[in-house]
Amino acid sequence: MGLLDKLNTIAETRKTLLPDGVDPFNVVIDEIYSPTEASINGQRVLLAGTNNYLGLTFDPQCIQAARSSLEKDGTGTTGSRMANGTFAGHRDLERDLASFYDCSDAIVFSTGFVANLGVISTLAGPGDVIVLDADSHASIYDACKMSGAEMIRFRHNSVDDLEKKLKRLGAKAEKTLIIAEGIYSMLGDCAPLAEIAALKRKYGAWLLVDEAHSMGVMGDTGRGMAEAVGVEQDVDFIIGTFSKSLGSIGGYCVSNHAELDLVRYVCRSYVFTASPSPSTTASVRQALQVIQAKPELRTRLWNNASLLYGGLKDLGFELGPDLSPVVAIRMPSREMTLLAWNALLDKGIYVNLVFPPAAPAGMSLLRCSVSAAHTSDQINYLLQSFAEIKQ
Amino acid sequence: MTNPQYGEIYKQVIRLLEEYAPRPVPISEETELVNDLGFDSLRVMEMLHDVEDTFDISYPLNSLPELRTVKDFTLKIQEIIETT
Repeated sequence: MGLLDKLNTIAETRKTLLPDGVDPFNVVIDEIYSPTEASINGQRVLLAGTNNYLGLTFDPQCIQAARSSLEKDGTGTTGSRMANGTFAGHRDLERDLASFYDCSDAIVFSTGFVANLGVISTLAGPGDVIVLDADSHASIYDACKMSGAEMIRFRHNSVDDLEKKLKRLGAKAEKTLIIAEGIYSMLGDCAPLAEIAALKRKYGAWLLVDEAHSMGVMGDTGRGMAEAVGVEQDVDFIIGTFSKSLGSIGGYCVSNHAELDLVRYVCRSYVFTASPSPSTTASVRQALQVIQAKPELRTRLWNNASLLYGGLKDLGFELGPDLSPVVAIRMPSREMTLLAWNALLDKGIYVNLVFPPAAPAGMSLLRCSVSAAHTSDQINYLLQSFAEIKQ
Repeated sequence: MTNPQYGEIYKQVIRLLEEYAPRPVPISEETELVNDLGFDSLRVMEMLHDVEDTFDISYPLNSLPELRTVKDFTLKIQEIIETT
């Protein structure tokens, strides 16, 4: 068997599932007009699958901050912080993040994926145990593999199963890192974080929460699920991303453990990768200000989420279990999902098409993500279009 | 039989494999999980929850790539039971 033969099965699957010329996994956005509108194949479309929860990609203050930094500091850092030095913007953003979370330390990474990859694989190692939710993001799974720690899964969002796993560990629980996410990216369901935190305390384990989809979305000040359910003191490490609510690209980890600062010296995805560009750190710093100054964005986001989730439910669609800005529609088959996705695109609507293994439990999904920037007319058009394709 | 417990574990493993295997072929100790029974990673993950409940164990994901045959799988479960 040759090196590339294994890719033949991918080619066969692609040929079976995707008719010529239509590939939902390689959509080209010809032009983007706003957080909610773009041009695809020459057609103006409504964007409903962007994770742009607060609509900050076109925020005038964020754009101005990025533009000023671009002109002042240049287009890129051209290397890692260890080799090329830390720019003032990196240091300032880390201070801003620590202050936003009321934590002692923060580290900025080049993407959310490498934040998980680097932090988890550095914190846990051979002889340690990671107990992770079964529906964890691919970056978490990859990080766990890289760590060399023993990897044990608990059933998605099952507090009972998590407790069974912790109980079996006995004294090893104190060398165990529990990993959960605030809002899960595919079905939009929320972690039972208060109960998970209680188990963490009971068994003396450590807790890391990925707030990628809940930062800016949950909590009184937008810090995420841990804030929303009042367990921030129990969360040892919070991982987040700049590529969703903060409208840019990058990732971070915040903690009150002073040892987080030492992670910089041994974390390969920090040491051996180019650091975020100056315009990125500048726009993210501004976006953090906006999140704090405009809580009404969260109110608008949840109103929109509620409208879409409730409307789709009334139409008889099978949805994820919780109301959140991620609204996932379970479809009966891959073929039906693809047909519906194409029909929506024909109507000028872009949503995400998700097949297993990206979707959990073998499901095929049409995944929408709602933004504070969506107007009620846009949400109504989405509902009207979904009603039409259902017929 | 390499261990008194092995036979009982093997019987339970066969039952679980028959329930989850994508290809319904006769199962023996040398049957391969991927090549003969058609398991992919997703299907293995689905089965693992039941394996853990049946034997009251936590099955480390790290050891999955080492598994090839039904015998490997049974021996691994036996090892976990004995060391838990």
